[in-house]
Amino acid sequence: MKNRLVKIICFSVSSLATLLLLAIVAFMVKESWPVWHSLGVGAIVTGTDWHPMANPPQLGIGTMILSTLWSALGAIMLATPLGLGAAIFLAEFAPPWLARLIRPVLNILTGIPSVVYGFVGAAVLVKFFEVSFGMPSGESLFCASLILTVMVLPYIITNSEAALRAVPNQYRETALAVGVSKQYLTIKVLLPLAKKGLVGAIILAFGRAAGETMAVLMLAGNTLVLPTSWFSKGEPLSALIALELGTSVVGSAHYQALFAAGLVLLVFVTAINILLNVIRNGKRNVVSKR
Amino acid sequence: MFKSKVLNLLLMLALALSLLVGCGQNEQPSAEQAKDTAAPEQSIKIGGSSTLAPVIAQLANEYTEEYGTWNKVDASLPEEPIVIFVSTGGSGFGVKSAINGTFDIGLVSRSIKDEEKEQIPNGQLIKVGTDALAIAVNPENPVLQVKPNLTTEELKGIFAGEIKTWKELDPQLPDRQIVLAIRDLGGGASEVFDTTVMQGTPVAKEAIQLPSMGALAGKVMENVDAIGYVSTGFVDQNQGKIAVLSIDGVEPTDENIASDQYKISRPLIMVTKDQPTAQQQKFIDFVMSAEGLAVVKEMGFVPAK
Repeated sequence: MKNRLVKIICFSVSSLATLLLLAIVAFMVKESWPVWHSLGVGAIVTGTDWHPMANPPQLGIGTMILSTLWSALGAIMLATPLGLGAAIFLAEFAPPWLARLIRPVLNILTGIPSVVYGFVGAAVLVKFFEVSFGMPSGESLFCASLILTVMVLPYIITNSEAALRAVPNQYRETALAVGVSKQYLTIKVLLPLAKKGLVGAIILAFGRAAGETMAVLMLAGNTLVLPTSWFSKGEPLSALIALELGTSVVGSAHYQALFAAGLVLLVFVTAINILLNVIRNGKRNVVSKR
Repeated sequence: MFKSKVLNLLLMLALALSLLVGCGQNEQPSAEQAKDTAAPEQSIKIGGSSTLAPVIAQLANEYTEEYGTWNKVDASLPEEPIVIFVSTGGSGFGVKSAINGTFDIGLVSRSIKDEEKEQIPNGQLIKVGTDALAIAVNPENPVLQVKPNLTTEELKGIFAGEIKTWKELDPQLPDRQIVLAIRDLGGGASEVFDTTVMQGTPVAKEAIQLPSMGALAGKVMENVDAIGYVSTGFVDQNQGKIAVLSIDGVEPTDENIASDQYKISRPLIMVTKDQPTAQQQKFIDFVMSAEGLAVVKEMGFVPAK
């Protein structure tokens, strides 16, 4: 009887948490519905003119979506080789004392507030680009990507390391018995076995990078030009919302469009998480099949 | 074992309840608060512009601390504690709330439109001061020697993206790209700039939007080719690091701003619907006193005379 009660309570608490997520989605949809309805999804998502104060307002957020993709994908491109390398080193090659030293440092890196990253980036990187490359102004999506790289690296490293360690020891023992080198074992055996976990780590990091706000807000430059290269300036979705939500008039088309932008970002991140789950679920089967 | 289960159960219940309660809480306290504050007329409710509200909140604090009760301000007033509420919400909200009586005094940091004036025929408009935007460049920018004075047309051309390099502005200047620094769209500062300078022409897409006035001032301090509108308060605080251009021959000095000769500015106004009550008048007098206006200046604005 008591067990059943606990079960019911557990169930209701966990479904409340789920409801909370659904409520957020529903709220975003409700707030942004008028602009989706009047302008159409296509016009908002692919439109590249953002003049919310004009009459009639132009509310295309295509530029921002592209900026988000540039900065986040750029960060992943930089962070993946570094992160995987570090994870392989930590899991397979590093002497235990060194690994014990590095892991807490990685944990501290994840705990640094993003304003601090943004501030350091604005003070050091932006200036560096202006001086060394003669850019008229140093802010760029590349700059944002660089800081995002540092921010997501710990996620990639810890998750990839866990995936590598999850490979059963018998593979390593067998490899040793057969007499192959450690390098061969890592590249030809461990990496393919941990593949799904590694891909999962990278996708998770992409979700983090796409949703990150503060550092990006300070580094991407926030111009409304359609970014044509990694070195253009741009205004990622999160920066757009952070910049303008405070001053938009509640209930105006501007306000609704910002919620629409938020919804797009939310859909992005949710889709990434679902993808991650699909990959994770497939993982066990592969290992057992081999 | 049993105990920990009960504890878990209680914890979970509390969690579930707090989730539920959290949602409903929004409405109630404000209604109750309104009831509390509606009763005594001794309290003053003020609200509106997010530019002016911090100044007035600071003044309200000083006023309450200095006097404590109304009878100490003026013996004819009752011995009631002074209570002044100050909240923000934007200029439009300030005017609307003054008209419909939500606030006793509305705070507005733009000029009051005629159709708004019509709704408060007996109301008072008290100009507390002016918030001006100086057109700022880096002190190392040669434009200061070559062309320290721009016309509104030139300024408009620069910010609309028609004049892209300093050389296009004047052949003597270096052939380097002009870096435009602006505040986010829809905010107060960009609204002032849009109405006084751009007059409907959109700002160039290339302009870098900075998340705060401090960041904008920082951009101009760091980047030799940057130009931007910076609140005069920030210019005063960073003397030597920010240089200022004149517009149409008018320098953004305190005198020129106060006399409305310098155009890129907005008034900071307190609005009442009717004649203010004795208490309200006393507070308004305090704001307009030398002591009050000193605070306005301290917070980076040009006080009214």
